[in-house]
Amino acid sequence: LLHKIAAGGATAVAAGTVAAALPQVAVAEEQATAPESAIGLLYDATKCIGCKTCVVACAEANNLAPDTRLDGLHQAPLDLNNFTKNIIRLYRTADGSEFSYVKSQCMHCVDPACVAGCSFEALRKEPGTGIVSWEGIKCSGCRYCQIACPYSVPRFEWEAFNPKVIKCELCKPRLAQGKEPACTTVCPTNAVVFGKRSALLAEAKRRIADHPGKYFENRVYGEHDAGGTQVLYLSHVPFEKIGLPNLGTESVPSRFLKWQHRVYKFLAIPAVLYVGMVGVMRGNFKHHQDEAAREQKETGLRPQL
Amino acid sequence: MTEQRWQRAVPVYAVPVQTRAFMLFAFMAIVGVILSVYREFVGLGPSSGMTDVYSWGLWKTWNVMVVTGLGSGGFAVGIAAWVFHRKRLHIVTRTAVLLSFLAYFCGLVLLAIDVGRPWNLFWMLLPWKWNTRSPLLEVMTCMTAYAVIPLFLENVPPVLERYYYLRPELRKKLAPIDNLMTRSFVFIIGLAYILPMMHQSSLGALMLLGGQRVHPLWQTPLMPLLYVTAAAFLGYAGVTLTLLLTCLFYKRPVDTGVLAEMNRIAAGLIIGWTALRFIDLLARGRVGLMFTPDVYGAMFWFETVVLIAGAVLLFSSAKSRNLRAIFNANLLVAIGGTVYRFAPPMLAFHPRAGAFYFPSAIEILIAFGFMSVAVVGFLLAIKKLAILPAPNSSWYAMASYAKLVRPEVQLTGYITAKD
Repeated sequence: LLHKIAAGGATAVAAGTVAAALPQVAVAEEQATAPESAIGLLYDATKCIGCKTCVVACAEANNLAPDTRLDGLHQAPLDLNNFTKNIIRLYRTADGSEFSYVKSQCMHCVDPACVAGCSFEALRKEPGTGIVSWEGIKCSGCRYCQIACPYSVPRFEWEAFNPKVIKCELCKPRLAQGKEPACTTVCPTNAVVFGKRSALLAEAKRRIADHPGKYFENRVYGEHDAGGTQVLYLSHVPFEKIGLPNLGTESVPSRFLKWQHRVYKFLAIPAVLYVGMVGVMRGNFKHHQDEAAREQKETGLRPQL
Repeated sequence: MTEQRWQRAVPVYAVPVQTRAFMLFAFMAIVGVILSVYREFVGLGPSSGMTDVYSWGLWKTWNVMVVTGLGSGGFAVGIAAWVFHRKRLHIVTRTAVLLSFLAYFCGLVLLAIDVGRPWNLFWMLLPWKWNTRSPLLEVMTCMTAYAVIPLFLENVPPVLERYYYLRPELRKKLAPIDNLMTRSFVFIIGLAYILPMMHQSSLGALMLLGGQRVHPLWQTPLMPLLYVTAAAFLGYAGVTLTLLLTCLFYKRPVDTGVLAEMNRIAAGLIIGWTALRFIDLLARGRVGLMFTPDVYGAMFWFETVVLIAGAVLLFSSAKSRNLRAIFNANLLVAIGGTVYRFAPPMLAFHPRAGAFYFPSAIEILIAFGFMSVAVVGFLLAIKKLAILPAPNSSWYAMASYAKLVRPEVQLTGYITAKD
């Protein structure tokens, strides 16, 4: 905490030089919390058998062509890509003493970095469900979402003329039909289940309570990580090993853009600076014009602006 | 290069426009433009080295982040001259704003080529659809607004001046425009300083959202402030190098007094900037990373040492007035600052272990092609317009020359002073 305060303090000094003239604006930026109606997934790595049925079902449900680029025969994507919104991968130490499957898809963060960065809200948090969805008409294809997402989830159609951003949207159309997402429907071991975030969180905590010591750090990844995610993870191996970085409990936008928001609040600071500079320059400009006129009298040369 | 006082912007005259260097740059520009059309047809993947891991390539990180930094002279020199009353710098503002305009213009065009769905950029025109949290929105709208409004208007006076002299019959018609320009000038240049402060700092804020993927030596809440300050000293370096090179090529006199003044400002900025960086690293408790023997530690020291050496040389050459030393000092600053501006989005951006990006040949040709567009524009402008500074005697010399080749032209002061 101390170093955070210190870092904040250093920025404050910088911002303060410009903000000094302003009365203290009370900026109470509270961290967003998931609404009660938020939905999500719970993935338990200890239950996953790595059958990849969910990978195939996901592609089918989302009308994505099977990714057979590896050998031209099998649907075997190597990573999330323009044909793959959901993937199962294997983490294994060199000696085989520790291994785990891991499912990757959009985490549907409570306060997503991609949404914070998206210029025209092409990526947005849907009210109620909290699904992070993508709307093509608003997307300029700038790929800032790919820079911002700490989980490297959004993918881009690099070969397309009108490229789309490809990411899990929790099977929105299926939900509208009253069905569950494809991945949870087909999972043979219920390693991934669908439900309300609050219910999934309770379930995850129940599993931890039932089997103390089984799960890494006896905690649910996504309860507080990066400000909370709507996809929750349980794992017997360290989260970092299966692509879930330790991001702290503050969301990426509130952690990194806090000061940016304060400086731009109501555009007050830029406006004050502008007015101040114009005020100073009016005097200087008059002076400059007078000098130029004097010089013109001496040399006969027309002044240049 | 002889030494004299710069008093007036004078076109480069009696030199053909189509020199061999000009043709080379024009050729590169045309190649770049043709390849950018190719990119529109085949998509970004086949025409660049960008991937889902490194999804921002050379065009955004080099042509936008670095080149607009080097082209920030219009802001850096202008604000010193007009706001901080450094009167001697007025003489180089025309050069500075022309450089800025070309750098921004080419950067923005390339930004539109870089985005995958450029037709959706029309949302920029609808402020109620903006996501005001987004640093990228700030950069896009603010840069465009800057280039299209104040920066464009700042470059209008030399054009008006050309018509004033070459088309005397238009003088009456141009007078009200001139008048309006003079009356609104402070409001325009006010915008020309506040907007770059906003978007040059937001360029740093862009990478804030990169979070932990940007190496902690660079990832700091101070990044916006460091970026805008770097833009200022890079802007001075860009203007000084351009002035020295043009004076060398066209054998024009140099006013080392003006250059020395810019040197001192830039050196002060660099020292303050470096101090801020070290204080920030101390405050964040990341000093240890400086001494980690990896590529990032080495890069940090490269930036720091090159910039500090540059600052020291800036100071000493401002005193000695040695042109070679001034040139070298500014070159060091340009290199150090470039590496800094290039680091957060590219060199110190590590989204995944083992991932690697190298631009494709097409990508590089387009990047240099659009820089060549700027060079071509610059070479044209300095020959057609009064941009580069010179002593009044150069103006008189030009007037005598013009009297020989274009007797119908009346250049004030020397030949006749009819107006």
